[in-house]
Amino acid sequence: MAEVHIIGQIYGATGFPDHSLFCKWGIHAGGAWKVLAGDREGQSQVDNPVNQEAAFFGHPIDIHFATKGLQGWPKLHFQIWHQDSFGRNELYGYGFCHVPTSPGMHNIECQTWKPSGTYREQITQSFLGGGPQLKNPDLIYSSALRCKLVTTAMGTIHLKIGVILRNFDKFGIEC
Amino acid sequence: MASSSVFLVMVSGQIESAEFPEFDDIYLRYNLSYGQDWLVTSGLEEGISQIAKKSQDDRQQMIWNFPIDVTFKSTNPHGWPQLIVHCYGADVFGQEVNRGYGVCHIPITPGKHKLRLPMFVPESSSLLQKFTSWFLSRRPEYVDPRVIAQGEGREVTRVRTQGFVTVMFNVVMKDMKKLGYDVLPSDVSHVNMPENVGVNTETVM
Repeated sequence: MAEVHIIGQIYGATGFPDHSLFCKWGIHAGGAWKVLAGDREGQSQVDNPVNQEAAFFGHPIDIHFATKGLQGWPKLHFQIWHQDSFGRNELYGYGFCHVPTSPGMHNIECQTWKPSGTYREQITQSFLGGGPQLKNPDLIYSSALRCKLVTTAMGTIHLKIGVILRNFDKFGIEC
Repeated sequence: MASSSVFLVMVSGQIESAEFPEFDDIYLRYNLSYGQDWLVTSGLEEGISQIAKKSQDDRQQMIWNFPIDVTFKSTNPHGWPQLIVHCYGADVFGQEVNRGYGVCHIPITPGKHKLRLPMFVPESSSLLQKFTSWFLSRRPEYVDPRVIAQGEGREVTRVRTQGFVTVMFNVVMKDMKKLGYDVLPSDVSHVNMPENVGVNTETVM
């Protein structure tokens, strides 16, 4: 069986309206993939940086997959939430990226988006915060039913991910 | 000779310098955190550096040049070692307080790597607690710094990033390829096809 190790961290986030952020992450893979060790999802600490241009999470990811097929290559998906000084949480963006298919160290920038509501909802949002959220978080990484969404762009999540592959060349896979 | 199932990772490097715009006179302690399948075969797992003062020029850097020389052996890349850096400095009352934690994985590819670690401190939950901790010089700290190398339990902490530490690593590996692990794209590009792939092993009349 071929094995994939994903070892790295969610480094931080930039480009958001405010940088007092935390990140919820998860990893989704197809049916042929099995997690041998490591957490499949998690939530980072809340960072309230002195320099308000970037939030740093430094959240470690260490997952060990075994797989019998290439379909359903793992995808990392994220939700960036903002926590204000009163402790209220508000959604700032969704994003996903595929785990790189070639071994080695990778610096990945994952772009994020936020569902935007009607004009009235947008005005309420600018005064009170909040805003529409996805009922089913699977939509972050799947393409079904995306045609019904209207979204606006938000900031970028920075990842430093290392990928180690095992036995891929024995099966004739070139990556 | 028995075939080995163990690979070695040798890390030699240094914790070079730091940028803390608001503080001076910082020293650090480093720790290595790794999974159950890993073992340190040589080198020190922990260390404490000298106290560094900020340079008076435009760079405003604190330089330690603190060496790290460790060799690990393992059977499984899961639990890859992480370097945890914990900085301390004197506050206005002369007491040693926590100035930041930072964590990074030891790079998984052999070669030279330069990394910049953001340093964060846990924040007190209320304004009153912030004032008392400043006044008494007892800032929030983690009981065991290794907590930041794990993902669990982080969601309830609030932190403040207030500086960066630059670390340089040189990584050498032994026997990763022998055990079937590929850490570089070039390792996988030359595919070894076994001879009987695609050949029907049953005799065909």
